[in-house]
Amino acid sequence: MTQRNMIRILLGIEIILNAGNLLFVYFAATNPHLGVVDPIGQSIVFMSIVTGGAVVSVGLALIVNAYKQFKTTDAGELRRLKW
Amino acid sequence: MIPSALYFMFAPLLIVIVGLLAERMGSPKLRSGFAVLASVWAVASVWMLLGLVQASPDKILVVSLGGNPPLGACLEIDMMGIYVAFSAVLLGFFANVYSFSYMEHDTRLTEYYSLLSALVVGMTGVAFAGDLFTLFLFWETMGIASYALVAFRKENPGPIEAGFKYMVMGSVGSTVLFFGAALLYGMTGTLNFAQMSTVIRGQTGNPWFYLVIAVLIVGFGVKSAIVPMHTWLPDAHPEAPSTISAMLSGMLIETALYALTRVTYVLFEPQMFSLVVAVLSALTMCLANVTALMQKDIKRMLAYSSIAQIGYMLIGLSAGSMFGIRALLLHVFNHSLMKGLAFLSAGSLVHTADTRNIDELKGIGRAMPVTTLALFVALLGLGGVPGTGGFISKMFLFGSAIPAGYMWLTVLGVLNSAFSMGYYLMTMYKLISKPEKDLAGFHEAPLAMLGVTVVMAILVIWTGVLPATVIGMAEEGARALVENLATYVGVIMR
Repeated sequence: MTQRNMIRILLGIEIILNAGNLLFVYFAATNPHLGVVDPIGQSIVFMSIVTGGAVVSVGLALIVNAYKQFKTTDAGELRRLKW
Repeated sequence: MIPSALYFMFAPLLIVIVGLLAERMGSPKLRSGFAVLASVWAVASVWMLLGLVQASPDKILVVSLGGNPPLGACLEIDMMGIYVAFSAVLLGFFANVYSFSYMEHDTRLTEYYSLLSALVVGMTGVAFAGDLFTLFLFWETMGIASYALVAFRKENPGPIEAGFKYMVMGSVGSTVLFFGAALLYGMTGTLNFAQMSTVIRGQTGNPWFYLVIAVLIVGFGVKSAIVPMHTWLPDAHPEAPSTISAMLSGMLIETALYALTRVTYVLFEPQMFSLVVAVLSALTMCLANVTALMQKDIKRMLAYSSIAQIGYMLIGLSAGSMFGIRALLLHVFNHSLMKGLAFLSAGSLVHTADTRNIDELKGIGRAMPVTTLALFVALLGLGGVPGTGGFISKMFLFGSAIPAGYMWLTVLGVLNSAFSMGYYLMTMYKLISKPEKDLAGFHEAPLAMLGVTVVMAILVIWTGVLPATVIGMAEEGARALVENLATYVGVIMR
Protein backbone atom coordinates (compact mmCIF):
# COMPACT_ATOMS: atom_id res chain seq x y z
CA MET A 1 0.00 0.00 0.00
CA THR A 2 2.97 2.35 0.24
CA GLN A 3 3.66 2.07 -3.47
CA ARG A 4 3.25 5.04 -5.78
CA ASN A 5 2.34 3.06 -8.88
CA MET A 6 -1.44 2.76 -9.21
CA ILE A 7 -1.33 -0.82 -10.47
CA ARG A 8 0.79 -1.86 -7.51
CA ILE A 9 -1.70 -0.23 -5.13
CA LEU A 10 -4.42 -2.34 -6.74
CA LEU A 11 -2.30 -5.48 -6.35
CA GLY A 12 -1.80 -4.58 -2.68
CA ILE A 13 -5.56 -4.45 -2.18
CA GLU A 14 -5.91 -7.89 -3.75
CA ILE A 15 -3.26 -9.28 -1.40
CA ILE A 16 -5.13 -7.95 1.66
CA LEU A 17 -8.29 -9.55 0.29
CA ASN A 18 -6.46 -12.85 -0.09
CA ALA A 19 -5.48 -12.70 3.58
CA GLY A 20 -9.17 -12.68 4.42
CA ASN A 21 -9.84 -15.47 1.93
CA LEU A 22 -7.14 -17.68 3.43
CA LEU A 23 -8.46 -17.04 6.93
CA PHE A 24 -11.92 -18.12 5.80
CA VAL A 25 -10.59 -21.29 4.15
CA TYR A 26 -8.68 -22.17 7.30
CA PHE A 27 -11.63 -21.59 9.63
CA ALA A 28 -13.98 -23.47 7.30
CA ALA A 29 -11.69 -26.50 7.38
CA THR A 30 -11.35 -26.49 11.18
CA ASN A 31 -14.89 -25.50 12.15
CA PRO A 32 -15.50 -27.20 15.52
CA HIS A 33 -19.30 -27.06 15.23
CA LEU A 34 -19.50 -29.27 12.15
CA GLY A 35 -17.70 -32.51 11.50
CA VAL A 36 -17.10 -31.69 7.87
CA VAL A 37 -15.64 -28.75 5.99
CA ASP A 38 -18.16 -25.92 6.30
CA PRO A 39 -19.69 -25.06 2.90
CA ILE A 40 -20.62 -21.47 3.78
CA GLY A 41 -17.03 -20.63 4.65
CA GLN A 42 -15.95 -21.88 1.26
CA SER A 43 -18.73 -20.26 -0.71
CA ILE A 44 -18.00 -16.82 0.75
CA VAL A 45 -14.43 -17.22 -0.49
CA PHE A 46 -15.69 -17.86 -4.02
CA MET A 47 -17.99 -14.86 -3.82
CA SER A 48 -15.23 -12.64 -2.48
CA ILE A 49 -12.97 -13.69 -5.35
CA VAL A 50 -15.74 -12.68 -7.75
CA THR A 51 -16.34 -9.30 -6.09
CA GLY A 52 -12.58 -8.79 -5.85
CA GLY A 53 -12.39 -9.33 -9.60
CA ALA A 54 -15.14 -6.78 -10.14
CA VAL A 55 -13.36 -4.22 -7.96
CA VAL A 56 -10.10 -4.79 -9.83
CA SER A 57 -11.80 -4.36 -13.20
CA VAL A 58 -13.32 -1.04 -12.08
CA GLY A 59 -9.93 -0.04 -10.71
CA LEU A 60 -8.12 -0.91 -13.92
CA ALA A 61 -10.67 1.03 -15.95
CA LEU A 62 -10.02 4.03 -13.71
CA ILE A 63 -6.26 3.59 -14.15
CA VAL A 64 -6.60 3.50 -17.94
CA ASN A 65 -8.63 6.71 -17.84
CA ALA A 66 -6.17 8.28 -15.41
CA TYR A 67 -3.33 7.40 -17.76
CA LYS A 68 -5.19 9.04 -20.64
CA GLN A 69 -5.67 12.20 -18.56
CA PHE A 70 -2.34 12.52 -16.78
CA LYS A 71 0.01 10.41 -18.96
CA THR A 72 1.32 8.62 -15.88
CA THR A 73 0.33 5.84 -13.46
CA ASP A 74 2.10 7.49 -10.56
CA ALA A 75 -0.46 8.06 -7.80
CA GLY A 76 1.70 10.86 -6.38
CA GLU A 77 0.87 12.95 -9.45
CA LEU A 78 -2.81 12.92 -8.57
CA ARG A 79 -2.66 15.76 -6.11
CA ARG A 80 -5.01 18.35 -7.54
CA LEU A 81 -7.57 17.68 -4.82
CA LYS A 82 -6.45 18.67 -1.35
CA TRP A 83 -8.59 19.72 1.63
CA MET B 1 -39.47 -18.90 -1.06
CA ILE B 2 -38.72 -15.40 -2.26
CA PRO B 3 -41.67 -12.98 -1.96
CA SER B 4 -42.53 -11.25 -5.22
CA ALA B 5 -41.97 -7.86 -3.56
CA LEU B 6 -38.24 -8.58 -3.68
CA TYR B 7 -38.13 -8.92 -7.47
CA PHE B 8 -37.31 -5.21 -7.78
CA MET B 9 -33.74 -6.21 -6.98
CA PHE B 10 -33.39 -7.38 -10.59
CA ALA B 11 -34.24 -3.89 -11.90
CA PRO B 12 -30.62 -2.98 -12.84
CA LEU B 13 -30.51 -5.89 -15.28
CA LEU B 14 -33.84 -4.89 -16.81
CA ILE B 15 -32.66 -1.31 -17.19
CA VAL B 16 -29.59 -2.51 -19.10
CA ILE B 17 -31.79 -4.50 -21.52
CA VAL B 18 -34.39 -1.75 -21.99
CA GLY B 19 -31.65 0.87 -22.27
CA LEU B 20 -29.86 -1.02 -25.03
CA LEU B 21 -33.13 -1.54 -26.89
CA ALA B 22 -33.96 2.16 -26.54
CA GLU B 23 -30.54 3.10 -27.89
CA ARG B 24 -31.13 0.83 -30.87
CA MET B 25 -34.53 2.41 -31.47
CA GLY B 26 -33.11 5.90 -30.99
CA SER B 27 -35.50 7.01 -28.24
CA PRO B 28 -33.55 8.06 -25.13
CA LYS B 29 -36.73 9.25 -23.38
CA LEU B 30 -37.90 5.63 -23.17
CA ARG B 31 -34.76 4.72 -21.23
CA SER B 32 -35.08 7.55 -18.70
CA GLY B 33 -38.78 6.87 -18.41
CA PHE B 34 -38.17 3.20 -17.69
CA ALA B 35 -35.54 4.08 -15.05
CA VAL B 36 -38.06 6.32 -13.27
CA LEU B 37 -40.65 3.54 -13.55
CA ALA B 38 -38.20 1.06 -12.03
CA SER B 39 -37.58 3.39 -9.10
CA VAL B 40 -41.33 3.73 -8.54
CA TRP B 41 -41.46 -0.06 -8.60
CA ALA B 42 -38.77 -0.17 -5.89
CA VAL B 43 -40.71 2.26 -3.67
CA ALA B 44 -43.91 0.26 -4.15
CA SER B 45 -42.10 -3.02 -3.40
CA VAL B 46 -40.64 -1.74 -0.15
CA TRP B 47 -44.11 -0.49 0.78
CA MET B 48 -45.50 -3.98 0.10
CA LEU B 49 -42.71 -5.52 2.16
CA LEU B 50 -43.67 -3.21 5.01
CA GLY B 51 -47.17 -4.68 4.82
CA LEU B 52 -45.78 -8.23 4.79
CA VAL B 53 -43.52 -7.55 7.77
CA GLN B 54 -46.30 -6.00 9.79
CA ALA B 55 -48.57 -8.93 9.00
CA SER B 56 -46.04 -11.57 10.10
CA PRO B 57 -46.30 -12.68 13.75
CA ASP B 58 -42.96 -11.38 15.06
CA LYS B 59 -42.76 -8.44 12.65
CA ILE B 60 -39.76 -10.16 11.08
CA LEU B 61 -39.70 -11.72 7.64
CA VAL B 62 -36.99 -14.30 7.02
CA VAL B 63 -36.21 -15.05 3.38
CA SER B 64 -33.87 -18.03 3.01
CA LEU B 65 -31.77 -18.10 -0.12
CA GLY B 66 -30.56 -21.62 -0.88
CA GLY B 67 -31.05 -23.51 2.35
CA ASN B 68 -32.05 -22.67 5.88
CA PRO B 69 -29.89 -20.34 7.95
CA PRO B 70 -27.14 -22.57 9.35
CA LEU B 71 -26.06 -23.47 5.82
CA GLY B 72 -27.72 -21.01 3.46
CA ALA B 73 -27.71 -17.24 3.25
CA CYS B 74 -30.78 -15.34 4.35
CA LEU B 75 -32.43 -11.94 4.33
CA GLU B 76 -33.92 -11.05 7.70
CA ILE B 77 -36.24 -8.11 7.15
CA ASP B 78 -37.40 -6.27 10.25
CA MET B 79 -38.85 -2.81 10.80
CA MET B 80 -35.43 -1.19 11.07
CA GLY B 81 -34.32 -2.65 7.75
CA ILE B 82 -37.56 -1.56 6.09
CA TYR B 83 -37.11 1.94 7.47
CA VAL B 84 -33.59 2.35 6.07
CA ALA B 85 -34.52 0.68 2.77
CA PHE B 86 -37.50 2.99 2.40
CA SER B 87 -35.32 6.05 2.87
CA ALA B 88 -32.96 4.67 0.21
CA VAL B 89 -35.59 3.90 -2.43
CA LEU B 90 -37.35 7.22 -1.84
CA LEU B 91 -34.13 9.15 -2.42
CA GLY B 92 -33.41 6.89 -5.40
CA PHE B 93 -36.76 7.84 -6.89
CA PHE B 94 -36.02 11.57 -6.49
CA ALA B 95 -32.55 11.14 -7.98
CA ASN B 96 -33.98 9.29 -11.00
CA VAL B 97 -36.60 11.92 -11.71
CA TYR B 98 -33.99 14.66 -11.33
CA SER B 99 -31.61 12.88 -13.73
CA PHE B 100 -34.31 13.07 -16.38
CA SER B 101 -33.32 16.68 -17.08
CA TYR B 102 -29.99 16.92 -15.35
CA MET B 103 -28.20 14.18 -17.27
CA GLU B 104 -29.80 14.75 -20.66
CA HIS B 105 -26.61 16.15 -22.25
CA ASP B 106 -24.42 13.27 -21.04
CA THR B 107 -23.68 10.14 -23.01
CA ARG B 108 -23.62 6.51 -21.76
CA LEU B 109 -26.89 6.95 -19.90
CA THR B 110 -27.75 3.23 -20.03
CA GLU B 111 -24.76 2.57 -17.80
CA TYR B 112 -25.65 5.52 -15.62
CA TYR B 113 -29.21 4.43 -14.90
CA SER B 114 -28.36 0.78 -14.33
CA LEU B 115 -25.53 1.68 -11.96
CA LEU B 116 -27.79 4.10 -10.08
CA SER B 117 -30.36 1.35 -9.76
CA ALA B 118 -27.66 -1.10 -8.62
CA LEU B 119 -26.60 1.41 -5.98
CA VAL B 120 -30.15 1.57 -4.60
CA VAL B 121 -30.52 -2.21 -4.70
CA GLY B 122 -27.20 -2.59 -2.89
CA MET B 123 -28.41 -0.26 -0.13
CA THR B 124 -31.71 -2.07 0.33
CA GLY B 125 -29.82 -5.37 0.36
CA VAL B 126 -27.50 -4.14 3.12
CA ALA B 127 -30.57 -3.02 5.05
CA PHE B 128 -32.26 -6.41 4.69
CA ALA B 129 -29.24 -8.69 5.16
CA GLY B 130 -29.55 -11.36 7.84
CA ASP B 131 -25.97 -12.59 7.78
CA LEU B 132 -22.51 -11.25 7.04
CA PHE B 133 -22.34 -13.20 3.77
CA THR B 134 -25.35 -11.42 2.25
CA LEU B 135 -24.29 -8.14 3.79
CA PHE B 136 -20.83 -8.39 2.25
CA LEU B 137 -22.18 -9.14 -1.22
CA PHE B 138 -24.66 -6.26 -1.24
CA TRP B 139 -21.99 -4.07 0.32
CA GLU B 140 -19.72 -4.73 -2.64
CA THR B 141 -22.60 -4.19 -5.10
CA MET B 142 -23.19 -0.80 -3.54
CA GLY B 143 -19.47 -0.04 -3.45
CA ILE B 144 -18.64 -1.00 -7.03
CA ALA B 145 -21.63 0.88 -8.41
CA SER B 146 -20.62 3.98 -6.49
CA TYR B 147 -16.95 3.83 -7.56
CA ALA B 148 -18.00 3.78 -11.19
CA LEU B 149 -20.58 6.52 -10.69
CA VAL B 150 -18.20 8.92 -8.93
CA ALA B 151 -15.87 8.71 -11.93
CA PHE B 152 -18.77 8.86 -14.40
CA ARG B 153 -17.70 12.05 -16.19
CA LYS B 154 -14.43 10.50 -17.22
CA GLU B 155 -13.51 13.21 -19.70
CA ASN B 156 -12.45 15.50 -16.80
CA PRO B 157 -9.42 14.87 -14.58
CA GLY B 158 -11.24 15.64 -11.31
CA PRO B 159 -13.74 12.75 -11.28
CA ILE B 160 -11.05 10.24 -12.28
CA GLU B 161 -8.79 11.32 -9.45
CA ALA B 162 -11.60 11.39 -6.91
CA GLY B 163 -12.90 8.05 -8.17
CA PHE B 164 -9.52 6.39 -7.88
CA LYS B 165 -9.01 7.71 -4.36
CA TYR B 166 -12.48 6.56 -3.36
CA MET B 167 -11.98 3.18 -5.01
CA VAL B 168 -8.70 2.53 -3.16
CA MET B 169 -10.04 3.64 0.22
CA GLY B 170 -13.40 1.96 -0.23
CA SER B 171 -12.02 -1.38 -1.28
CA VAL B 172 -9.42 -1.39 1.50
CA GLY B 173 -12.34 -0.74 3.86
CA SER B 174 -14.26 -3.67 2.38
CA THR B 175 -11.28 -5.98 2.70
CA VAL B 176 -10.84 -4.96 6.34
CA LEU B 177 -14.53 -5.70 6.84
CA PHE B 178 -14.06 -9.07 5.13
CA PHE B 179 -11.16 -9.81 7.45
CA GLY B 180 -13.36 -8.93 10.41
CA ALA B 181 -16.04 -11.28 9.09
CA ALA B 182 -13.41 -14.02 8.89
CA LEU B 183 -12.38 -13.41 12.52
CA LEU B 184 -16.01 -13.53 13.67
CA TYR B 185 -16.52 -16.70 11.65
CA GLY B 186 -13.49 -18.24 13.32
CA MET B 187 -14.81 -17.40 16.77
CA THR B 188 -18.37 -18.56 16.25
CA GLY B 189 -18.33 -21.00 13.33
CA THR B 190 -21.18 -19.24 11.53
CA LEU B 191 -21.93 -16.03 9.67
CA ASN B 192 -25.57 -15.61 10.65
CA PHE B 193 -26.16 -12.59 12.92
CA ALA B 194 -28.60 -14.42 15.16
CA GLN B 195 -26.39 -17.47 15.64
CA MET B 196 -23.28 -15.36 16.21
CA SER B 197 -25.25 -13.34 18.72
CA THR B 198 -26.18 -16.42 20.76
CA VAL B 199 -22.53 -17.47 20.90
CA ILE B 200 -20.85 -14.19 21.81
CA ARG B 201 -23.32 -11.57 23.04
CA GLY B 202 -23.16 -11.07 26.78
CA GLN B 203 -19.55 -12.15 27.15
CA THR B 204 -17.12 -9.41 28.05
CA GLY B 205 -13.43 -9.15 28.69
CA ASN B 206 -12.23 -11.29 25.79
CA PRO B 207 -9.53 -9.17 24.10
CA TRP B 208 -10.43 -10.67 20.70
CA PHE B 209 -13.82 -8.97 20.88
CA TYR B 210 -12.19 -5.56 21.12
CA LEU B 211 -10.06 -6.40 18.09
CA VAL B 212 -13.19 -7.37 16.16
CA ILE B 213 -15.00 -4.17 17.21
CA ALA B 214 -12.02 -2.12 16.04
CA VAL B 215 -11.91 -3.96 12.70
CA LEU B 216 -15.67 -3.52 12.21
CA ILE B 217 -15.51 0.21 13.02
CA VAL B 218 -12.68 0.66 10.51
CA GLY B 219 -14.37 -1.51 7.85
CA PHE B 220 -17.76 0.16 8.06
CA GLY B 221 -16.27 3.52 9.04
CA VAL B 222 -14.48 4.02 5.72
CA LYS B 223 -17.79 4.07 3.81
CA SER B 224 -19.59 6.06 6.48
CA ALA B 225 -16.75 8.64 6.64
CA ILE B 226 -16.01 8.59 10.37
CA VAL B 227 -13.19 11.03 10.88
CA PRO B 228 -9.84 9.33 10.54
CA MET B 229 -11.21 7.48 7.49
CA HIS B 230 -13.13 10.36 5.89
CA THR B 231 -10.61 11.75 3.39
CA TRP B 232 -12.25 10.24 0.29
CA LEU B 233 -15.59 11.93 0.87
CA PRO B 234 -14.81 15.63 0.30
CA ASP B 235 -13.15 14.67 -3.00
CA ALA B 236 -15.72 12.19 -4.27
CA HIS B 237 -18.88 14.18 -3.51
CA PRO B 238 -18.10 17.42 -5.40
CA GLU B 239 -16.67 15.64 -8.43
CA ALA B 240 -19.56 13.20 -8.90
CA PRO B 241 -22.69 14.29 -10.81
CA SER B 242 -25.07 16.05 -8.37
CA THR B 243 -27.59 13.21 -8.32
CA ILE B 244 -24.83 10.83 -7.29
CA SER B 245 -23.57 13.26 -4.64
CA ALA B 246 -27.11 13.31 -3.30
CA MET B 247 -27.28 9.50 -3.24
CA LEU B 248 -23.82 9.08 -1.69
CA SER B 249 -24.24 11.77 0.88
CA GLY B 250 -27.91 11.26 1.53
CA MET B 251 -27.98 7.52 1.84
CA LEU B 252 -24.72 5.60 1.22
CA ILE B 253 -22.89 6.85 4.29
CA GLU B 254 -26.03 6.29 6.38
CA THR B 255 -26.41 2.76 5.06
CA ALA B 256 -22.87 2.10 6.19
CA LEU B 257 -23.70 3.57 9.59
CA TYR B 258 -26.83 1.40 9.73
CA ALA B 259 -24.72 -1.69 9.01
CA LEU B 260 -22.28 -0.70 11.77
CA THR B 261 -25.16 -0.19 14.19
CA ARG B 262 -26.81 -3.47 13.28
CA VAL B 263 -23.69 -5.62 13.51
CA THR B 264 -22.19 -4.11 16.65
CA TYR B 265 -25.55 -4.01 18.40
CA VAL B 266 -26.57 -7.56 17.62
CA LEU B 267 -23.17 -9.02 18.47
CA PHE B 268 -21.95 -6.99 21.44
CA GLU B 269 -23.25 -5.25 24.53
CA PRO B 270 -23.45 -1.47 23.92
CA GLN B 271 -21.07 -0.58 26.76
CA MET B 272 -18.24 -2.39 24.95
CA PHE B 273 -18.11 0.13 22.10
CA SER B 274 -19.98 3.12 23.51
CA LEU B 275 -17.00 5.21 24.66
CA VAL B 276 -15.00 4.65 21.46
CA VAL B 277 -17.97 5.72 19.35
CA ALA B 278 -18.54 8.79 21.55
CA VAL B 279 -14.93 9.92 21.09
CA LEU B 280 -15.10 9.29 17.32
CA SER B 281 -18.36 11.21 17.18
CA ALA B 282 -16.83 14.24 18.91
CA LEU B 283 -13.79 14.15 16.62
CA THR B 284 -15.95 13.77 13.51
CA MET B 285 -18.25 16.70 14.14
CA CYS B 286 -15.59 19.12 15.38
CA LEU B 287 -13.10 18.51 12.60
CA ALA B 288 -15.70 18.45 9.82
CA ASN B 289 -17.41 21.66 10.93
CA VAL B 290 -14.16 23.59 11.20
CA THR B 291 -13.02 22.42 7.76
CA ALA B 292 -16.41 23.13 6.18
CA LEU B 293 -16.09 26.77 7.20
CA MET B 294 -12.95 27.12 5.05
CA GLN B 295 -14.48 25.83 1.81
CA LYS B 296 -15.04 27.98 -1.24
CA ASP B 297 -16.68 25.21 -3.28
CA ILE B 298 -20.40 24.88 -2.50
CA LYS B 299 -20.58 21.11 -3.02
CA ARG B 300 -17.39 20.57 -1.03
CA MET B 301 -18.86 22.54 1.83
CA LEU B 302 -21.96 20.33 1.72
CA ALA B 303 -19.71 17.25 1.69
CA TYR B 304 -17.96 18.35 4.89
CA SER B 305 -21.34 19.10 6.38
CA SER B 306 -22.31 15.46 5.68
CA ILE B 307 -19.32 14.29 7.71
CA ALA B 308 -20.46 16.53 10.55
CA GLN B 309 -23.96 15.02 10.36
CA ILE B 310 -22.44 11.54 10.61
CA GLY B 311 -20.80 12.79 13.80
CA TYR B 312 -24.22 13.77 15.18
CA MET B 313 -25.66 10.37 14.23
CA LEU B 314 -22.85 8.58 16.05
CA ILE B 315 -24.10 10.21 19.27
CA GLY B 316 -27.22 8.09 18.90
CA LEU B 317 -25.16 4.91 18.54
CA SER B 318 -22.92 5.75 21.49
CA ALA B 319 -25.94 6.38 23.73
CA GLY B 320 -26.66 2.66 23.39
CA SER B 321 -30.34 2.96 24.27
CA MET B 322 -33.58 2.70 22.36
CA PHE B 323 -33.86 6.47 22.60
CA GLY B 324 -30.49 6.86 20.89
CA ILE B 325 -31.23 4.41 18.09
CA ARG B 326 -34.59 6.04 17.48
CA ALA B 327 -32.91 9.43 17.14
CA LEU B 328 -30.29 7.93 14.83
CA LEU B 329 -32.96 6.44 12.55
CA LEU B 330 -34.95 9.66 12.56
CA HIS B 331 -31.87 11.61 11.55
CA VAL B 332 -31.06 9.08 8.81
CA PHE B 333 -34.42 9.74 7.17
CA ASN B 334 -34.34 13.50 7.69
CA HIS B 335 -30.75 13.78 6.57
CA SER B 336 -31.44 11.76 3.42
CA LEU B 337 -34.13 14.28 2.51
CA MET B 338 -32.26 17.41 3.59
CA LYS B 339 -28.86 16.57 2.19
CA GLY B 340 -30.41 15.09 -0.94
CA LEU B 341 -32.32 18.34 -1.39
CA ALA B 342 -29.24 20.44 -0.67
CA PHE B 343 -27.14 18.61 -3.25
CA LEU B 344 -29.89 18.54 -5.87
CA SER B 345 -30.76 22.25 -5.60
CA ALA B 346 -27.07 23.22 -5.41
CA GLY B 347 -26.69 20.99 -8.47
CA SER B 348 -29.30 23.05 -10.31
CA LEU B 349 -27.41 26.26 -9.48
CA VAL B 350 -24.09 24.75 -10.53
CA HIS B 351 -25.66 23.31 -13.69
CA THR B 352 -26.90 26.76 -14.71
CA ALA B 353 -23.93 28.86 -13.62
CA ASP B 354 -21.25 26.29 -14.53
CA THR B 355 -19.14 27.07 -11.46
CA ARG B 356 -19.02 25.61 -7.96
CA ASN B 357 -17.29 28.58 -6.34
CA ILE B 358 -19.60 30.26 -3.81
CA ASP B 359 -18.16 33.71 -4.56
CA GLU B 360 -18.87 33.34 -8.26
CA LEU B 361 -22.41 32.15 -7.52
CA LYS B 362 -23.07 35.44 -5.73
CA GLY B 363 -26.51 36.83 -6.45
CA ILE B 364 -27.72 33.83 -8.44
CA GLY B 365 -30.66 33.56 -6.05
CA ARG B 366 -32.19 36.56 -7.77
CA ALA B 367 -32.28 34.72 -11.10
CA MET B 368 -33.40 31.33 -9.74
CA PRO B 369 -35.63 32.14 -6.74
CA VAL B 370 -37.46 28.80 -6.35
CA THR B 371 -34.35 26.61 -6.45
CA THR B 372 -32.58 28.94 -4.03
CA LEU B 373 -35.55 28.87 -1.68
CA ALA B 374 -35.42 25.04 -1.71
CA LEU B 375 -31.70 25.21 -0.94
CA PHE B 376 -32.46 27.56 1.96
CA VAL B 377 -34.96 25.08 3.40
CA ALA B 378 -32.34 22.33 3.16
CA LEU B 379 -29.59 24.41 4.78
CA LEU B 380 -31.86 25.60 7.58
CA GLY B 381 -32.87 21.99 8.15
CA LEU B 382 -29.25 20.87 8.28
CA GLY B 383 -28.53 23.63 10.78
CA GLY B 384 -31.42 22.43 12.93
CA VAL B 385 -33.82 25.39 12.76
CA PRO B 386 -37.23 24.65 14.36
CA GLY B 387 -39.93 23.96 11.79
CA THR B 388 -37.77 21.62 9.74
CA GLY B 389 -37.12 17.90 10.21
CA GLY B 390 -33.55 18.60 11.22
CA PHE B 391 -34.59 20.28 14.46
CA ILE B 392 -36.64 17.32 15.69
CA SER B 393 -34.00 14.69 15.00
CA LYS B 394 -31.14 16.80 16.36
CA MET B 395 -33.08 17.46 19.53
CA PHE B 396 -33.60 13.72 19.99
CA LEU B 397 -29.96 12.95 19.19
CA PHE B 398 -28.50 15.47 21.61
CA GLY B 399 -31.08 14.51 24.22
CA SER B 400 -30.21 10.83 23.96
CA ALA B 401 -26.63 11.39 25.13
CA ILE B 402 -27.71 12.74 28.55
CA PRO B 403 -29.18 9.53 30.03
CA ALA B 404 -26.13 7.65 28.76
CA GLY B 405 -23.88 9.90 30.86
CA TYR B 406 -22.21 11.75 28.00
CA MET B 407 -23.20 15.28 29.01
CA TRP B 408 -20.06 16.67 27.35
CA LEU B 409 -21.16 15.12 24.05
CA THR B 410 -24.53 16.91 24.22
CA VAL B 411 -22.83 20.23 24.90
CA LEU B 412 -20.36 19.65 22.08
CA GLY B 413 -23.17 18.68 19.71
CA VAL B 414 -25.21 21.81 20.43
CA LEU B 415 -22.14 24.02 20.08
CA ASN B 416 -21.21 22.36 16.79
CA SER B 417 -24.73 22.72 15.50
CA ALA B 418 -24.67 26.43 16.27
CA PHE B 419 -21.22 26.73 14.74
CA SER B 420 -22.38 25.03 11.53
CA MET B 421 -25.03 27.74 11.05
CA GLY B 422 -22.04 30.03 10.41
CA TYR B 423 -21.25 28.58 7.02
CA TYR B 424 -24.86 27.84 6.09
CA LEU B 425 -25.87 31.44 6.72
CA MET B 426 -22.81 32.77 4.92
CA THR B 427 -23.70 30.70 1.85
CA MET B 428 -27.31 31.87 1.97
CA TYR B 429 -26.23 35.46 2.33
CA LYS B 430 -23.93 35.25 -0.67
CA LEU B 431 -26.55 33.59 -2.85
CA ILE B 432 -29.02 36.44 -2.45
CA SER B 433 -26.63 39.38 -2.18
CA LYS B 434 -26.14 41.90 -4.98
CA PRO B 435 -24.87 40.16 -8.14
CA GLU B 436 -21.49 41.22 -9.46
CA LYS B 437 -22.08 40.20 -13.04
CA ASP B 438 -24.95 40.19 -15.47
CA LEU B 439 -27.54 37.49 -14.75
CA ALA B 440 -29.46 37.89 -18.00
CA GLY B 441 -28.60 34.42 -19.30
CA PHE B 442 -29.69 32.56 -16.15
CA HIS B 443 -33.15 31.04 -15.95
CA GLU B 444 -34.97 28.81 -13.51
CA ALA B 445 -34.06 25.10 -13.73
CA PRO B 446 -36.09 22.73 -16.00
CA LEU B 447 -39.39 21.42 -14.69
CA ALA B 448 -38.25 17.93 -13.59
CA MET B 449 -35.39 19.35 -11.54
CA LEU B 450 -37.50 22.14 -10.10
CA GLY B 451 -40.37 19.78 -9.24
CA VAL B 452 -38.12 17.38 -7.34
CA THR B 453 -36.54 20.14 -5.27
CA VAL B 454 -39.90 21.70 -4.42
CA VAL B 455 -41.44 18.35 -3.40
CA MET B 456 -38.42 17.53 -1.24
CA ALA B 457 -38.51 20.96 0.39
CA ILE B 458 -42.16 20.40 1.26
CA LEU B 459 -41.28 17.00 2.73
CA VAL B 460 -38.50 18.54 4.86
CA ILE B 461 -40.96 21.06 6.30
CA TRP B 462 -43.62 18.39 6.70
CA THR B 463 -41.30 16.20 8.80
CA GLY B 464 -40.58 19.25 10.93
CA VAL B 465 -44.13 20.42 11.49
CA LEU B 466 -45.94 17.07 11.70
CA PRO B 467 -43.21 14.63 12.73
CA ALA B 468 -45.46 12.04 14.41
CA THR B 469 -45.58 9.57 11.49
CA VAL B 470 -41.83 9.47 10.96
CA ILE B 471 -41.13 9.31 14.70
CA GLY B 472 -43.54 6.39 14.96
CA MET B 473 -41.76 4.53 12.17
CA ALA B 474 -38.35 5.26 13.69
CA GLU B 475 -39.55 4.09 17.07
CA GLU B 476 -40.76 0.78 15.63
CA GLY B 477 -37.40 0.37 13.92
CA ALA B 478 -35.47 1.09 17.10
CA ARG B 479 -37.68 -1.24 19.10
CA ALA B 480 -36.99 -4.02 16.58
CA LEU B 481 -33.26 -3.64 17.20
CA VAL B 482 -33.03 -2.91 20.93
CA GLU B 483 -36.01 -4.32 22.80
CA ASN B 484 -36.92 -7.17 20.48
CA LEU B 485 -33.38 -8.41 19.98
CA ALA B 486 -34.37 -11.73 21.54
CA THR B 487 -37.11 -12.12 18.92
CA TYR B 488 -34.66 -11.25 16.16
CA VAL B 489 -32.39 -14.04 17.36
CA GLY B 490 -35.22 -16.42 18.22
CA VAL B 491 -36.79 -16.36 14.75
CA ILE B 492 -33.63 -17.87 13.28
CA MET B 493 -32.80 -20.24 16.12
CA ARG B 494 -36.07 -22.14 16.27
